[in-house]
Amino acid sequence: MEILQGVLNGFQVALQPINLFYCFIGVFIGTLVGVLPGLGPAAAIALLLPSTFALSPVAAIIMLAGIYYGSMYGGSTTSILVNIPGEAASVVTCLDGHAMARQGRAGPALGIAAFGSFIAGTLSVVLLTFLAPLLMKVALRFGPPENFSLMILGTTLVTYFAQGSMLKALMMALVGVLIGSVGVDSISARYRFTFGIPTLMDGLGLVPVIMGLFGISEVLQNLERTTHERMIYAAPVKGLLPSREDWRRSAMPIARGSLLGFFLGILPGAGAIIASFAAYAIEKRVSKHPEKFGSGEIEGVAGPEAANNAAAGGAFIPLLTLGIPANAVMAILLGALLIHGLQPGPLLVKQAPDLFWGFITSMYIGNVMLLVLNLPLIGLWARLLRVPYAVLFPFILLFCLVGSYSLNNNIGDGVVMWVFGVLGYLMKKFDYEGAPLILAMVIGPMMEEALRQSLILSAGSFSIFFARPISAGFILAAALLLILPLFTRRSKIPEA
Amino acid sequence: MSRDLTSSLFWLGFAIFVSFESLTALKLGSLRQPGPGFFPFWGGVLLGMFSLILLARSFMSRERLSFGALRWPALFLVLGALLSYLLFLEAIGFVVVTFCFLLLLFRFGETGWIKSAASSLVATSLAYALFRLWLQVQLPRGWFGI
Repeated sequence: MEILQGVLNGFQVALQPINLFYCFIGVFIGTLVGVLPGLGPAAAIALLLPSTFALSPVAAIIMLAGIYYGSMYGGSTTSILVNIPGEAASVVTCLDGHAMARQGRAGPALGIAAFGSFIAGTLSVVLLTFLAPLLMKVALRFGPPENFSLMILGTTLVTYFAQGSMLKALMMALVGVLIGSVGVDSISARYRFTFGIPTLMDGLGLVPVIMGLFGISEVLQNLERTTHERMIYAAPVKGLLPSREDWRRSAMPIARGSLLGFFLGILPGAGAIIASFAAYAIEKRVSKHPEKFGSGEIEGVAGPEAANNAAAGGAFIPLLTLGIPANAVMAILLGALLIHGLQPGPLLVKQAPDLFWGFITSMYIGNVMLLVLNLPLIGLWARLLRVPYAVLFPFILLFCLVGSYSLNNNIGDGVVMWVFGVLGYLMKKFDYEGAPLILAMVIGPMMEEALRQSLILSAGSFSIFFARPISAGFILAAALLLILPLFTRRSKIPEA
Repeated sequence: MSRDLTSSLFWLGFAIFVSFESLTALKLGSLRQPGPGFFPFWGGVLLGMFSLILLARSFMSRERLSFGALRWPALFLVLGALLSYLLFLEAIGFVVVTFCFLLLLFRFGETGWIKSAASSLVATSLAYALFRLWLQVQLPRGWFGI
C-alpha cells in the first residue's frame, strides 16, 4: 500500500507542467545525444549539470535521468541507419539492424527498436518501483563494515565486467580512489594532495573530470578518423510499423532482453553495454537458425535494444537504495543530488518522498514521450546524421569549456578538464578504461570513511569485516570474483 | 617498448609518489585511529603492486609501441585552442574568445575563411543567447564589456 501511495504521490509531482517540461527536454536531448556518435550520455549529463543548478532538485534529476534513458533510444537509430553505434550500448544493434536497413527494412527495424525499448523501459521502471523500497529496508540495517564490504564488492564487479584487461581495470579503480582523496580529509579535516592549488582544495570536480575523460578525449580520438569514414550508407526509411510477423518473432526476445537487462543493470559495472551483448548472445543461442544472425534477423535488434533500455532502469537501484553508483552516469547523478543537498541511499524516500517518487514516476512518462517523440521524428534524426563532424566538434568543445567554467566560475575547473582530456586520450591509446576510474573516484571517499569508522569501531581489528555475516558475504563474493578469472577464460566482448 | 611497459612505468611512478607523499606529508596513524595518509598510502601500494605485475607481463609480449596514423597537427591544434580559450577567457571576455575559438576550429575543418567567419559569428550569437540569456550563466565580459 505504501508503494501505491508513493506512486500516486509521484504522479502528482511528475505531472506538474514544469516537471513535464523538463522531462521532455531531458528525453529530447537524450535522443539527440544517442543519435550523435561521439557524444555519450555521461559527457552530455556532465555538460548539462551546471545548467540545472537553478532548477528545483526534482526537475533537475528528472531531466538528467531523461537524458540517460533517452540516449538508449537514440543510439539504435544511428546503428540501424548508418552502421555506426550512436553510443556504446547500441554496438550490437548494428549487426542485424543495419543488415535489415540494407534490405530496405529500416522502418520495421527502427520501429521494433523503439517499441522494444518502450516495453523494456516501462517494465524496468515497474520493477524499480517495487524493488527499490524493499531493498532500502534491508540497506537501513547496514553499518560502516557492511557498507565498506559492499563497496569493495561493487568496485570488484566493475573491474570484473571491464571489457579489456581486468588488471588494468583494477589499476584504474585504484587511480580513481587516489584521485578521489584529493582535497579535505573528511575525518581529520586536513588538506591532502592539494599542493597549495586553490582549485584542488575542494577536491577534483567530478564534472570536469568526466568531461575530460569522456568528452574531450572522445573528440580527440574522433578527429583521427577522416571524415569520409563516418558516413557510409544512409538507408531510406519507409513504413515504421513492424508487421504482425515481426511482432510474433520479437515478443519473446523483448521479454527475455528486458529481464536480463534489468538484472545486469543492477550490478555495478555491468550495465547497458554488457546487457545488450548478452541479450544478443542469448537470442542467437535459442534461435532455430543462428547462422542467419548478422544478416538482418529482427530478433537480433529486439533483444539487445530491450536489454539496454531495461539496464538503464536497473542501474538506478543501487544509486537510490544504497547510494552507490553503478556506472559513470549514475556517478554524476549522485553528484547532482548531493549538489542539491540530497543524500541518495536508504533514507532518501523518507527524507524527500516527493523527489523519490516524482522521479521514479517521471520515467513512466518519459518512456511514453520517447515513443511518441521517436517514431515521427526519425526523419529528422536521420537528417541530423548528415551534419559533418567538422561542424559538430567545435560545439562539443565549446559546451565542455563553458560547462566546466560555469560550475564555480573558475578557470581551474577548465584546466582540470583539459588535463583529464589528455589523460583520457592517452588511456584510450594505451587500452585503459575510464569507467572504473570515475566510479572509484566517487566511491573512494565513501569507502575510506566506512573503512576508518569500522576500524575505530573494532579498535583496529580487521575481523569486524568477517565477523558480521552480511559483510563477510560481500567480501567472499568479491574474493571469488577476483580469483575466478585465474581459472577460467573470460569471454571477451568483440571490438566494434 | 610495448604499450604496457610504458604505461606500467608511468603508473608505478605515480604510485610511488602518492605513497611517499602519504607517508611523509600526511600521517598514517594507527589501525585503531587511522590518519589522513592511511587510505591513500595503501591505495598507492596496491597500485604499485599491480603496475609491477603489468610490467612483468609486458616483457612477455612482443608488441611494439605504435598507435597507427596519428594526426598530430589536429591534436595539438585542438589542445592548444582549448588551453588558450581558458587562458584568455577572463581577460578578453566570452564573446571575443568564443568567436576566435570557433573561427580557428571551423577553418581547420577545411572551409574557407569567409564561410568560417560567418559560421563563427552565427554560432557565437547562438551560444551567447543560450548560455547568457537563457541559462543565465555568468560569463566573463572582459574587453568591450560584452
